[in-house]
Amino acid sequence: MKIKYLSVFTDDIEKQIAFFIENLGFEVLGKKSFLPGQESVLIKTNNPDLFIVVHMDSDSEFRRGPVIINSQDCLNDYHNLKMAGVIFHNEPHYLPIGLCAAFSDPSGNQYLLLEERSYTTQV
Amino acid sequence: MEYSRTLKNNNVIYSGTRNTYNQQTTSDFSIRFVFSGNERYNIGKRQLSIYNDSFLILNKGTHYTSTVESAIPVQSFGISFDDKFLQDFRNGWQFKDEALLSINKNPFINRYEHEFDETIYPFKGDLFFNVNHLKHHLDRGLQDELLINEYLHHCLINYFQIFNEEIFQKAQRLNFLSRSTKIEILRRLNLAKEYLYSNFNSNITLEELAEYACLSVTHLLRTFRQAFHQTPHQFLVQIRLQRAKDLLKNTDYPVNEIVNMVGFDCPSSFIRLFKGRFQTTPLKYRQGFSITIV
Repeated sequence: MKIKYLSVFTDDIEKQIAFFIENLGFEVLGKKSFLPGQESVLIKTNNPDLFIVVHMDSDSEFRRGPVIINSQDCLNDYHNLKMAGVIFHNEPHYLPIGLCAAFSDPSGNQYLLLEERSYTTQV
Repeated sequence: MEYSRTLKNNNVIYSGTRNTYNQQTTSDFSIRFVFSGNERYNIGKRQLSIYNDSFLILNKGTHYTSTVESAIPVQSFGISFDDKFLQDFRNGWQFKDEALLSINKNPFINRYEHEFDETIYPFKGDLFFNVNHLKHHLDRGLQDELLINEYLHHCLINYFQIFNEEIFQKAQRLNFLSRSTKIEILRRLNLAKEYLYSNFNSNITLEELAEYACLSVTHLLRTFRQAFHQTPHQFLVQIRLQRAKDLLKNTDYPVNEIVNMVGFDCPSSFIRLFKGRFQTTPLKYRQGFSITIV
Protein backbone atom coordinates (compact mmCIF):
# COMPACT_ATOMS: atom_id res chain seq x y z
CA MET A 1 0.00 0.00 0.00
CA LYS A 2 1.19 3.50 -0.73
CA ILE A 3 -0.32 6.95 -0.88
CA LYS A 4 -0.92 7.70 -4.55
CA TYR A 5 -3.53 10.45 -4.78
CA LEU A 6 -4.50 13.52 -2.80
CA SER A 7 -8.00 14.77 -3.54
CA VAL A 8 -8.89 18.45 -3.74
CA PHE A 9 -12.32 19.86 -4.41
CA THR A 10 -13.46 22.86 -6.35
CA ASP A 11 -16.53 24.47 -7.88
CA ASP A 12 -14.33 26.14 -10.52
CA ILE A 13 -12.11 23.53 -12.09
CA GLU A 14 -10.36 25.91 -14.53
CA LYS A 15 -9.36 28.26 -11.72
CA GLN A 16 -8.11 25.35 -9.63
CA ILE A 17 -6.01 23.92 -12.48
CA ALA A 18 -4.58 27.35 -13.24
CA PHE A 19 -3.51 27.62 -9.59
CA PHE A 20 -1.62 24.31 -9.75
CA ILE A 21 0.05 25.15 -13.06
CA GLU A 22 0.82 28.83 -12.69
CA ASN A 23 1.41 29.14 -8.98
CA LEU A 24 2.85 25.76 -8.03
CA GLY A 25 4.46 24.72 -11.32
CA PHE A 26 2.65 21.39 -11.60
CA GLU A 27 1.35 19.84 -14.84
CA VAL A 28 -1.97 18.41 -15.93
CA LEU A 29 -1.55 14.70 -16.61
CA GLY A 30 -5.01 13.97 -17.95
CA LYS A 31 -8.51 13.00 -16.90
CA LYS A 32 -9.72 9.94 -15.07
CA SER A 33 -13.16 8.70 -14.11
CA PHE A 34 -13.15 8.11 -10.35
CA LEU A 35 -16.88 8.52 -9.85
CA PRO A 36 -19.86 7.53 -12.04
CA GLY A 37 -20.59 10.17 -14.65
CA GLN A 38 -17.75 12.49 -13.64
CA GLU A 39 -14.21 12.89 -14.87
CA SER A 40 -11.62 14.23 -12.45
CA VAL A 41 -8.42 15.98 -13.49
CA LEU A 42 -5.08 14.42 -12.58
CA ILE A 43 -2.24 16.78 -11.66
CA LYS A 44 1.37 15.65 -11.84
CA THR A 45 3.38 16.83 -8.83
CA ASN A 46 7.14 16.95 -8.27
CA ASN A 47 6.86 13.52 -6.67
CA PRO A 48 6.53 10.98 -9.52
CA ASP A 49 4.54 8.60 -7.31
CA LEU A 50 2.06 11.17 -6.00
CA PHE A 51 -0.74 12.84 -7.93
CA ILE A 52 -3.38 15.42 -7.08
CA VAL A 53 -6.92 14.68 -8.19
CA VAL A 54 -9.18 17.66 -8.77
CA HIS A 55 -12.80 16.70 -8.24
CA MET A 56 -15.77 18.89 -8.92
CA ASP A 57 -17.17 19.85 -5.51
CA SER A 58 -19.62 17.19 -4.46
CA ASP A 59 -20.66 15.18 -1.48
CA SER A 60 -18.70 12.16 -2.67
CA GLU A 61 -16.76 9.71 -0.61
CA PHE A 62 -13.60 11.34 -1.88
CA ARG A 63 -14.65 14.34 0.20
CA ARG A 64 -14.67 12.05 3.21
CA GLY A 65 -11.40 10.31 2.28
CA PRO A 66 -9.16 12.85 0.57
CA VAL A 67 -6.00 10.77 1.01
CA ILE A 68 -6.17 7.86 -1.43
CA ILE A 69 -4.02 4.85 -0.59
CA ASN A 70 -3.26 2.65 -3.54
CA SER A 71 -3.82 -1.06 -3.01
CA GLN A 72 -2.85 -3.98 -5.21
CA ASP A 73 -5.62 -6.08 -3.67
CA CYS A 74 -8.31 -4.12 -1.86
CA LEU A 75 -10.14 -7.09 -0.33
CA ASN A 76 -6.93 -8.48 1.12
CA ASP A 77 -5.79 -5.12 2.52
CA TYR A 78 -9.28 -4.35 3.81
CA HIS A 79 -9.33 -7.68 5.62
CA ASN A 80 -5.84 -7.29 7.09
CA LEU A 81 -6.43 -3.70 8.21
CA LYS A 82 -9.73 -4.64 9.77
CA MET A 83 -8.07 -7.50 11.65
CA ALA A 84 -5.49 -4.95 12.88
CA GLY A 85 -8.28 -2.81 14.37
CA VAL A 86 -8.76 -0.21 11.65
CA ILE A 87 -12.35 1.03 11.52
CA PHE A 88 -13.88 1.18 8.05
CA HIS A 89 -16.88 3.36 7.21
CA ASN A 90 -18.12 1.02 4.55
CA GLU A 91 -17.50 -2.35 2.98
CA PRO A 92 -15.42 -2.56 -0.21
CA HIS A 93 -17.52 -1.39 -3.11
CA TYR A 94 -17.13 -0.67 -6.80
CA LEU A 95 -16.50 2.62 -8.58
CA PRO A 96 -15.65 3.18 -12.26
CA ILE A 97 -11.98 3.28 -11.29
CA GLY A 98 -11.95 0.09 -9.21
CA LEU A 99 -12.66 -1.27 -5.74
CA CYS A 100 -12.48 0.95 -2.65
CA ALA A 101 -13.27 1.25 1.05
CA ALA A 102 -12.99 4.26 3.40
CA PHE A 103 -11.48 4.25 6.90
CA SER A 104 -10.41 6.67 9.64
CA ASP A 105 -7.36 7.06 11.86
CA PRO A 106 -7.72 7.58 15.66
CA SER A 107 -7.88 11.37 15.19
CA GLY A 108 -10.76 11.15 12.77
CA ASN A 109 -8.78 11.84 9.59
CA GLN A 110 -10.18 9.85 6.73
CA TYR A 111 -8.58 7.78 4.00
CA LEU A 112 -9.69 5.84 0.98
CA LEU A 113 -8.21 2.46 0.18
CA LEU A 114 -8.37 2.06 -3.60
CA GLU A 115 -7.47 -0.80 -5.93
CA GLU A 116 -7.40 0.70 -9.41
CA ARG A 117 -8.56 -1.71 -12.08
CA SER A 118 -7.97 -1.42 -15.79
CA TYR A 119 -11.03 -3.06 -17.28
CA THR A 120 -9.85 -2.55 -20.85
CA THR A 121 -6.71 -4.68 -20.58
CA GLN A 122 -8.37 -7.93 -19.56
CA VAL A 123 -8.06 -11.23 -21.44
CA MET B 1 -0.75 -27.63 -8.25
CA GLU B 2 -4.02 -29.34 -7.39
CA TYR B 3 -6.19 -28.70 -4.38
CA SER B 4 -9.77 -28.93 -3.29
CA ARG B 5 -10.74 -26.80 -0.31
CA THR B 6 -13.99 -27.38 1.53
CA LEU B 7 -14.63 -24.45 3.84
CA LYS B 8 -16.46 -24.69 7.17
CA ASN B 9 -19.59 -23.26 5.52
CA ASN B 10 -19.37 -25.99 2.84
CA ASN B 11 -18.31 -23.70 0.02
CA VAL B 12 -15.85 -25.67 -2.11
CA ILE B 13 -13.01 -24.40 -4.25
CA TYR B 14 -11.20 -26.64 -6.70
CA SER B 15 -8.05 -25.83 -8.61
CA GLY B 16 -6.04 -28.23 -10.75
CA THR B 17 -3.84 -28.62 -13.78
CA ARG B 18 -4.42 -31.70 -15.88
CA ASN B 19 -4.08 -33.13 -19.36
CA THR B 20 -7.12 -35.34 -19.60
CA TYR B 21 -10.09 -35.58 -17.34
CA ASN B 22 -13.56 -36.97 -17.37
CA GLN B 23 -16.09 -36.71 -14.61
CA GLN B 24 -19.78 -37.02 -14.08
CA THR B 25 -21.21 -35.41 -11.03
CA THR B 26 -23.91 -33.30 -9.46
CA SER B 27 -22.96 -30.15 -7.65
CA ASP B 28 -24.15 -27.08 -5.80
CA PHE B 29 -24.51 -23.86 -7.71
CA SER B 30 -21.05 -23.40 -9.12
CA ILE B 31 -18.92 -21.25 -11.38
CA ARG B 32 -16.29 -22.91 -13.58
CA PHE B 33 -13.24 -21.25 -15.07
CA VAL B 34 -10.12 -22.28 -16.95
CA PHE B 35 -6.91 -20.26 -16.84
CA SER B 36 -5.27 -22.04 -19.78
CA GLY B 37 -6.39 -24.47 -22.46
CA ASN B 38 -10.06 -25.34 -22.64
CA GLU B 39 -12.53 -27.59 -20.90
CA ARG B 40 -15.60 -29.03 -22.53
CA TYR B 41 -18.77 -29.60 -20.52
CA ASN B 42 -21.57 -31.84 -21.71
CA ILE B 43 -24.94 -30.95 -20.22
CA GLY B 44 -27.59 -33.13 -21.79
CA LYS B 45 -27.14 -32.70 -25.52
CA ARG B 46 -25.30 -29.41 -25.18
CA GLN B 47 -21.53 -29.21 -25.44
CA LEU B 48 -20.05 -26.09 -23.92
CA SER B 49 -16.37 -25.18 -24.15
CA ILE B 50 -14.86 -22.64 -21.82
CA TYR B 51 -11.59 -20.82 -22.32
CA ASN B 52 -9.75 -18.24 -20.25
CA ASP B 53 -12.08 -15.46 -21.42
CA SER B 54 -15.32 -17.15 -20.43
CA PHE B 55 -16.91 -19.03 -17.56
CA LEU B 56 -19.77 -21.43 -17.07
CA ILE B 57 -22.59 -21.52 -14.53
CA LEU B 58 -23.91 -24.84 -13.26
CA ASN B 59 -27.05 -24.92 -11.15
CA LYS B 60 -27.45 -27.21 -8.18
CA GLY B 61 -28.35 -30.72 -9.28
CA THR B 62 -27.15 -30.41 -12.85
CA HIS B 63 -25.64 -33.59 -14.28
CA TYR B 64 -22.68 -32.94 -16.48
CA THR B 65 -19.56 -34.49 -17.90
CA SER B 66 -16.41 -32.44 -18.21
CA THR B 67 -13.66 -33.36 -20.60
CA VAL B 68 -10.26 -31.89 -21.12
CA GLU B 69 -8.75 -32.49 -24.53
CA SER B 70 -6.02 -29.99 -25.03
CA ALA B 71 -2.49 -29.85 -26.37
CA ILE B 72 -1.48 -27.82 -23.35
CA PRO B 73 -2.27 -28.62 -19.69
CA VAL B 74 -5.57 -27.15 -18.62
CA GLN B 75 -5.76 -25.10 -15.45
CA SER B 76 -9.26 -25.55 -14.12
CA PHE B 77 -10.73 -23.52 -11.31
CA GLY B 78 -14.18 -23.94 -9.83
CA ILE B 79 -16.18 -22.52 -6.96
CA SER B 80 -19.25 -24.29 -5.55
CA PHE B 81 -21.47 -22.25 -3.27
CA ASP B 82 -23.32 -23.83 -0.40
CA ASP B 83 -27.09 -23.20 -0.47
CA LYS B 84 -27.09 -21.27 2.80
CA PHE B 85 -24.21 -19.03 1.74
CA LEU B 86 -26.01 -18.33 -1.51
CA GLN B 87 -29.31 -17.62 0.22
CA ASP B 88 -27.68 -15.33 2.79
CA PHE B 89 -25.98 -13.49 -0.02
CA ARG B 90 -29.24 -13.08 -1.92
CA ASN B 91 -31.08 -11.78 1.12
CA GLY B 92 -28.39 -9.24 1.93
CA TRP B 93 -27.68 -8.21 -1.63
CA GLN B 94 -31.22 -7.83 -2.84
CA PHE B 95 -32.19 -5.55 0.01
CA LYS B 96 -28.99 -3.54 0.20
CA ASP B 97 -27.49 -2.74 -3.13
CA GLU B 98 -29.38 0.17 -4.58
CA ALA B 99 -27.33 0.07 -7.75
CA LEU B 100 -28.97 -3.20 -8.69
CA LEU B 101 -32.49 -2.48 -7.55
CA SER B 102 -33.60 -2.51 -11.16
CA ILE B 103 -33.38 -6.28 -11.05
CA ASN B 104 -35.68 -6.44 -8.05
CA LYS B 105 -38.24 -4.39 -9.90
CA ASN B 106 -38.13 -6.82 -12.76
CA PRO B 107 -41.09 -9.20 -12.59
CA PHE B 108 -38.98 -11.96 -14.12
CA ILE B 109 -36.50 -12.03 -11.28
CA ASN B 110 -38.58 -14.70 -9.55
CA ARG B 111 -37.90 -17.06 -12.35
CA TYR B 112 -34.20 -16.60 -11.73
CA GLU B 113 -34.37 -16.57 -7.98
CA HIS B 114 -33.21 -20.12 -7.62
CA GLU B 115 -31.86 -20.88 -11.05
CA PHE B 116 -29.59 -19.11 -13.49
CA ASP B 117 -29.10 -19.66 -17.18
CA GLU B 118 -26.54 -22.44 -17.46
CA THR B 119 -24.57 -20.92 -20.23
CA ILE B 120 -21.24 -19.34 -21.04
CA TYR B 121 -20.65 -15.82 -19.77
CA PRO B 122 -17.73 -13.49 -20.49
CA PHE B 123 -15.03 -13.64 -17.81
CA LYS B 124 -14.55 -9.92 -17.39
CA GLY B 125 -14.82 -6.94 -15.10
CA ASP B 126 -14.46 -7.23 -11.36
CA LEU B 127 -15.07 -10.98 -11.39
CA PHE B 128 -11.87 -11.37 -13.40
CA PHE B 129 -9.85 -9.42 -10.83
CA ASN B 130 -11.39 -11.02 -7.75
CA VAL B 131 -11.08 -14.61 -8.99
CA ASN B 132 -7.47 -13.99 -9.98
CA HIS B 133 -6.70 -12.53 -6.55
CA LEU B 134 -8.42 -15.44 -4.82
CA LYS B 135 -6.56 -18.03 -6.89
CA HIS B 136 -3.27 -16.22 -6.27
CA HIS B 137 -3.78 -16.43 -2.49
CA LEU B 138 -5.03 -20.02 -2.51
CA ASP B 139 -2.11 -21.15 -4.66
CA ARG B 140 0.16 -19.76 -1.92
CA GLY B 141 -1.67 -21.64 0.81
CA LEU B 142 -4.08 -19.04 2.20
CA GLN B 143 -5.93 -20.59 5.15
CA ASP B 144 -7.93 -17.62 6.45
CA GLU B 145 -11.53 -18.60 5.73
CA LEU B 146 -12.86 -15.15 6.58
CA LEU B 147 -10.81 -13.68 3.77
CA ILE B 148 -11.62 -16.51 1.37
CA ASN B 149 -15.33 -16.01 2.04
CA GLU B 150 -14.92 -12.26 1.50
CA TYR B 151 -13.63 -13.06 -1.99
CA LEU B 152 -16.45 -15.55 -2.57
CA HIS B 153 -19.02 -12.97 -1.48
CA HIS B 154 -17.59 -10.52 -3.99
CA CYS B 155 -17.49 -13.19 -6.71
CA LEU B 156 -21.25 -13.52 -6.26
CA ILE B 157 -21.73 -9.73 -6.41
CA ASN B 158 -19.67 -9.70 -9.61
CA TYR B 159 -21.50 -12.66 -11.12
CA PHE B 160 -24.91 -11.09 -10.44
CA GLN B 161 -23.64 -7.91 -12.09
CA ILE B 162 -22.59 -9.85 -15.20
CA PHE B 163 -25.87 -11.76 -15.16
CA ASN B 164 -27.74 -8.45 -15.00
CA GLU B 165 -25.72 -7.03 -17.90
CA GLU B 166 -25.89 -10.15 -20.05
CA ILE B 167 -29.54 -11.01 -19.49
CA PHE B 168 -31.65 -8.08 -18.36
CA GLN B 169 -29.81 -5.13 -19.90
CA LYS B 170 -29.43 -6.84 -23.27
CA ALA B 171 -33.02 -8.08 -23.22
CA GLN B 172 -34.13 -4.46 -22.86
CA ARG B 173 -32.60 -3.72 -26.27
CA LEU B 174 -34.94 -6.14 -28.04
CA ASN B 175 -37.85 -4.65 -29.91
CA PHE B 176 -40.67 -6.59 -28.30
CA LEU B 177 -43.46 -5.24 -26.19
CA SER B 178 -43.68 -8.14 -23.79
CA ARG B 179 -40.85 -8.37 -21.26
CA SER B 180 -41.29 -12.13 -20.97
CA THR B 181 -40.77 -12.39 -24.75
CA LYS B 182 -37.64 -10.27 -24.47
CA ILE B 183 -36.18 -12.54 -21.79
CA GLU B 184 -37.06 -15.71 -23.70
CA ILE B 185 -35.54 -14.42 -26.95
CA LEU B 186 -32.42 -13.32 -25.07
CA ARG B 187 -32.13 -16.78 -23.54
CA ARG B 188 -32.22 -18.30 -27.03
CA LEU B 189 -29.70 -15.77 -28.31
CA ASN B 190 -27.40 -16.81 -25.49
CA LEU B 191 -27.74 -20.38 -26.77
CA ALA B 192 -26.51 -19.10 -30.12
CA LYS B 193 -23.61 -17.38 -28.39
CA GLU B 194 -22.63 -20.50 -26.47
CA TYR B 195 -22.70 -22.46 -29.73
CA LEU B 196 -20.35 -19.95 -31.32
CA TYR B 197 -18.11 -19.98 -28.22
CA SER B 198 -17.95 -23.78 -28.29
CA ASN B 199 -17.66 -24.43 -32.03
CA PHE B 200 -15.74 -21.38 -33.22
CA ASN B 201 -13.18 -23.52 -35.05
CA SER B 202 -15.78 -25.28 -37.21
CA ASN B 203 -17.61 -24.10 -40.27
CA ILE B 204 -20.85 -22.93 -38.74
CA THR B 205 -23.84 -22.28 -40.95
CA LEU B 206 -26.55 -19.81 -40.02
CA GLU B 207 -29.10 -22.60 -40.37
CA GLU B 208 -27.46 -24.84 -37.76
CA LEU B 209 -26.93 -21.85 -35.46
CA ALA B 210 -30.58 -20.87 -35.77
CA GLU B 211 -31.70 -24.43 -35.17
CA TYR B 212 -29.57 -24.68 -32.01
CA ALA B 213 -31.07 -21.41 -30.74
CA CYS B 214 -34.62 -22.48 -31.65
CA LEU B 215 -35.08 -19.39 -33.86
CA SER B 216 -35.56 -18.85 -37.57
CA VAL B 217 -32.52 -17.53 -39.45
CA THR B 218 -34.20 -14.19 -40.07
CA HIS B 219 -35.28 -13.88 -36.47
CA LEU B 220 -31.81 -14.83 -35.23
CA LEU B 221 -30.04 -12.29 -37.40
CA ARG B 222 -32.38 -9.47 -36.49
CA THR B 223 -32.54 -10.07 -32.74
CA PHE B 224 -28.84 -10.94 -32.37
CA ARG B 225 -27.91 -7.58 -33.81
CA GLN B 226 -30.45 -5.81 -31.62
CA ALA B 227 -29.22 -7.44 -28.42
CA PHE B 228 -25.46 -7.55 -28.99
CA HIS B 229 -24.95 -4.75 -31.52
CA GLN B 230 -23.13 -7.09 -33.89
CA THR B 231 -23.98 -9.95 -36.24
CA PRO B 232 -23.35 -13.60 -35.33
CA HIS B 233 -20.53 -13.60 -37.88
CA GLN B 234 -18.87 -10.56 -36.32
CA PHE B 235 -19.16 -12.22 -32.91
CA LEU B 236 -17.61 -15.41 -34.31
CA VAL B 237 -14.70 -13.50 -35.85
CA GLN B 238 -14.14 -11.78 -32.52
CA ILE B 239 -13.92 -15.15 -30.72
CA ARG B 240 -11.59 -16.58 -33.36
CA LEU B 241 -9.27 -13.59 -33.11
CA GLN B 242 -9.21 -13.85 -29.33
CA ARG B 243 -8.39 -17.58 -29.47
CA ALA B 244 -5.68 -16.89 -32.06
CA LYS B 245 -4.22 -14.21 -29.80
CA ASP B 246 -4.05 -16.70 -26.91
CA LEU B 247 -2.37 -19.32 -29.11
CA LEU B 248 0.16 -16.78 -30.37
CA LYS B 249 0.97 -15.82 -26.81
CA ASN B 250 1.03 -19.26 -25.18
CA THR B 251 2.18 -21.72 -27.88
CA ASP B 252 4.84 -22.07 -30.58
CA TYR B 253 2.41 -23.10 -33.32
CA PRO B 254 3.19 -21.43 -36.67
CA VAL B 255 0.78 -18.67 -37.65
CA ASN B 256 -0.54 -20.67 -40.60
CA GLU B 257 -1.42 -23.53 -38.28
CA ILE B 258 -3.14 -21.18 -35.84
CA VAL B 259 -5.18 -19.78 -38.71
CA ASN B 260 -6.59 -23.26 -39.33
CA MET B 261 -6.93 -24.11 -35.63
CA VAL B 262 -9.23 -21.18 -34.94
CA GLY B 263 -11.35 -21.71 -38.04
CA PHE B 264 -10.12 -19.11 -40.52
CA ASP B 265 -9.73 -20.21 -44.15
CA CYS B 266 -7.18 -17.73 -45.33
CA PRO B 267 -4.01 -16.40 -43.60
CA SER B 268 -4.15 -13.05 -45.37
CA SER B 269 -7.68 -12.27 -44.21
CA PHE B 270 -6.73 -13.44 -40.71
CA ILE B 271 -3.76 -11.04 -40.64
CA ARG B 272 -5.92 -8.19 -41.88
CA LEU B 273 -8.63 -8.84 -39.29
CA PHE B 274 -6.05 -9.30 -36.51
CA LYS B 275 -4.38 -6.02 -37.38
CA GLY B 276 -7.73 -4.28 -37.56
CA ARG B 277 -8.69 -5.44 -34.09
CA PHE B 278 -5.41 -5.35 -32.17
CA GLN B 279 -3.49 -2.70 -34.15
CA THR B 280 -0.54 -5.05 -34.66
CA THR B 281 0.29 -8.03 -36.84
CA PRO B 282 0.20 -11.59 -35.41
CA LEU B 283 3.98 -11.91 -35.70
CA LYS B 284 4.70 -8.60 -34.00
CA TYR B 285 2.23 -9.51 -31.26
CA ARG B 286 4.04 -12.81 -30.70
CA GLN B 287 7.47 -11.16 -30.78
CA GLY B 288 6.32 -8.92 -27.94
CA PHE B 289 6.21 -11.99 -25.70
CA SER B 290 9.45 -13.68 -26.84
CA ILE B 291 12.41 -13.38 -24.49
CA THR B 292 15.79 -12.61 -25.96
CA ILE B 293 18.62 -14.32 -24.10
CA VAL B 294 21.92 -12.50 -24.57
